[in-house]
Amino acid sequence: MSTSPRKRPASDALVAGGVVVLLFAIVAVVMWISGSALYPPAAVTTQAKEISKLYDVVFAIAVAVFVAVEGLIVWSILRYRRRPTDVDLPPQTHGNNMVEVLWTLIPTVIVLYLFAISWQTLNTVDYTSVANGQKPDIQIRALAGQFQWQFEYLDGNGNHIATQTRAAGEGGGMAVPVGKKVYVTLRSGDVIHAWYVPRFLFKRDVVPGQENHFEFTVDPAELIDGKPATFHGQCAELCGTGHRVMLFSVVAMSQADYDAWLAKLVEIEKATPPPAPSGAPVLTLGAKGIAYDKKDLQAPAEAPFVIDFKNEDPATITHDIDIHGADGTTVVANQEPIAGGTSTQYTYDPLPAGTYQFFCSVHPGVPGMTGTLTVN
Amino acid sequence: MATHALSPAVPAYRGGLYEWLTTTDHKKIGIMYLINSFFFFLIGGLFALLVRTELAAPGIQLFTNEHVYNESFSIHATVMIFLFIIPVLAGLGNYAVPLMIGAPDMAFPRINALSFWMLPLGGVLLLAGFLTPGGAAAAGWTSYPPLSERGALASPGPGQDLWIVSLILIGTSSILGGINFLVTIFKMRAPGMTLFRMPIMVWTMLVTSVLVVMATPVITSALVMLFIDRNYGGSFFLPDKGGQAVLYQNVFWFYSHPAVYVMVLPAMGVISEVLPVFSRKPLFGYKAFIFATAGIGALGFSVWAHHMFTTGAVFLPFFALMTFFIAVPTGVKMFNWVFTLFRGQLTFSTPLIFAIGFLTMFLIGGINGAFSAAVPVDFALHDTYWVVAHLHYVLFGGSVFGVFAGIYYWFPKMTGRMLSESLGKIHFILMFIGFNLTFFPMHMLGIKGMPRRIADYAGDAGWNDWNLLATIGGFTIAVSMLPFLWNVFVSLRGGKLAGDDPWEGNTLEWATSSPPPPYNFDRLPAIRSERPLFDARHGLHTHDGPGGQSDEKAPMALEEGSHDDQGPTP
Repeated sequence: MSTSPRKRPASDALVAGGVVVLLFAIVAVVMWISGSALYPPAAVTTQAKEISKLYDVVFAIAVAVFVAVEGLIVWSILRYRRRPTDVDLPPQTHGNNMVEVLWTLIPTVIVLYLFAISWQTLNTVDYTSVANGQKPDIQIRALAGQFQWQFEYLDGNGNHIATQTRAAGEGGGMAVPVGKKVYVTLRSGDVIHAWYVPRFLFKRDVVPGQENHFEFTVDPAELIDGKPATFHGQCAELCGTGHRVMLFSVVAMSQADYDAWLAKLVEIEKATPPPAPSGAPVLTLGAKGIAYDKKDLQAPAEAPFVIDFKNEDPATITHDIDIHGADGTTVVANQEPIAGGTSTQYTYDPLPAGTYQFFCSVHPGVPGMTGTLTVN
Repeated sequence: MATHALSPAVPAYRGGLYEWLTTTDHKKIGIMYLINSFFFFLIGGLFALLVRTELAAPGIQLFTNEHVYNESFSIHATVMIFLFIIPVLAGLGNYAVPLMIGAPDMAFPRINALSFWMLPLGGVLLLAGFLTPGGAAAAGWTSYPPLSERGALASPGPGQDLWIVSLILIGTSSILGGINFLVTIFKMRAPGMTLFRMPIMVWTMLVTSVLVVMATPVITSALVMLFIDRNYGGSFFLPDKGGQAVLYQNVFWFYSHPAVYVMVLPAMGVISEVLPVFSRKPLFGYKAFIFATAGIGALGFSVWAHHMFTTGAVFLPFFALMTFFIAVPTGVKMFNWVFTLFRGQLTFSTPLIFAIGFLTMFLIGGINGAFSAAVPVDFALHDTYWVVAHLHYVLFGGSVFGVFAGIYYWFPKMTGRMLSESLGKIHFILMFIGFNLTFFPMHMLGIKGMPRRIADYAGDAGWNDWNLLATIGGFTIAVSMLPFLWNVFVSLRGGKLAGDDPWEGNTLEWATSSPPPPYNFDRLPAIRSERPLFDARHGLHTHDGPGGQSDEKAPMALEEGSHDDQGPTP
């Protein structure tokens, strides 16, 4: 019984080591199969590329630490299981100051290194022209409200050019020219939101009572054949029942396309709505608290009609009245949203008799923002 | 008949139930903590299943009223944090700490009962929100204003107020419990039980209690301010009236980050008891481990703003540096645990398996946390499912596995009966697989851009498969609770008798009967190290190597250590 309990068949260590190697082989295969599942999506801005590089370093260190420590655990539990012959105690090791110092110092060095490169990257990512006394190429004010975005374009002096009220979808989105420094100011009129574009690897909170700023430059290589590229964005800070519908997109395009796009936006904003066709029936509808005040509207068949629409929500909240066909998906009438506190007259083209669904395109899926239009 | 006349008549109202409802015995209170917490664990789990069911596939399946979805994840997290993890660990501490330091009870037994009874009351108040017109609190467990304020599109209903009151009540329970632990640990230790002979479990409860007593009043202040804003026209957090929205987050996280350590340190204490016993070795680096625990506690107060990296209102480099630093003492602990296993003789009983589950999963929870400490990377990951993965690897992979290690470890002491090993292993395997199926894919979802707290997502976003996997995993975790409940049920009725010391334990609770009598000990073994029972069995081992017989001071048998020398009994 006095034989050292440390003495074990060498095959034990081999088996234990083999299992560890096998485990990591499985992990490697799983990671290979799932491809880039643990990698961020391809970065599209100068800033995001820096973040992606930093991610790679952190990821490499993380995998190394994981493999080393997890391997040690798995090896220990396989190698040192108690056998019926283990009657005597194993060596009663209480510790070792040398190794304690070692595994305090090594992690300290690693985290200091990680901190240093994080700080370095942070200085690039958080850099803005304005904070450094320069003028950015493009200035946009993103206004967040429950539950939509508006993008107000500003000139070099911070004066209003035009506001994009369609945050996503056909003809919507925050247009930016590629290769230009875009300076964004975030404002919220109600609760906290967050401006998040996954492919920018970036988000920033939109805090009421506080302006946040950031700057980005989209890589010109993102334009394939010079066509605009669209990047999905969405609110990332819980902001209420409609949090998930608070989508937007960033549309990157060439400078020429951008100039044309902005000119068109200005034109839309300046255009006075065409006068209502004389004799067309005028319906009224209001919106308050992210809900229409009526659930049912009636209109004559095969004749134009007008809806006198009043948006009584706060200024950051926009609404419109679009119309779905009978199938519930095709859009048969598409209107420009209006900001809270304003009103307008929407004119609709003649519709054949039937039942339609009217809805707010900025609040799709919000129960109060839909109703039935009966045309007869 | 005559014997009846001799025994005192037991009035009907002094039945078993009355005894439990009025007890001040720390062991009974500890067990009630565990049962109450486990009940809320099941409720919190039910809400998690609802959320996972909704997210299994794109499209709205379950929650046609999406407000109820927001209520579900808000109440899930609130229940799991404040009514399960924090109290279940306090319950294990309540049961174990007085036994481990050789004390007859907690220092203030009646305050102990009060701390417990506030919990079910707090839980009922929280859930009562569902019966109110606006439903339960739905602004997330963090309840950031202005969303948690009384606006029409914010949180108009009384559910949010009930949430506040419930949390203040539970917080008060924590503070009272924390003070009770501190006084118990400092004043009630048996003779010979110096601070550096205390079991690690006691040390972690000590550091946890310091955190609780220092931090909980701070969140109470945030909650009171929010309550004033909502009900008495205050404007602490309302920017349009001169308040500041981010102020709440600073105050909230000043508590809630240390609260993470409140939720994990005692679980670390549990596995630091389990690993040595089932390895037949002392904990590697006992003192280093204590300093690391204290270090985590201290650093824990300087990292709160890493929850706020994207607010634009934080000095980022400081909080990034501090957050990275906290990895160092955590790493020290990890290596100490692994080197406790190293060259040991491991017996894979259920407590050890759960403790190893803690090691392997908490490691991932530590590593994926480092990504968020790197501020620019956090700009991508913050408020996505990556963070959901991270926090569950810490609080489920870490704490919950630790809690089950503790329950399997101390169940024989609490009840006098052993749990079934085979059912325990089935429980572990199901829970381990289910846990990883649920939470590992969330890394992929987060990095690919899926935000937290959304009821639905587009079918073409590339998130479908990972979400389905996570939902399957969630139901696997739910199923894993069945063998556990069945195990407890059958073992209570006919489990193998445990005896005083079924595991060859190291610490004092194994020196008394199972279950222990009121006031715990008739006699105590001599306490010459952090392993008094080991010393009694094998002789004192203060140096490397098995040198028991040569050590003259080693007491080979239980030594008289009577109740009377235990210092003043209040």
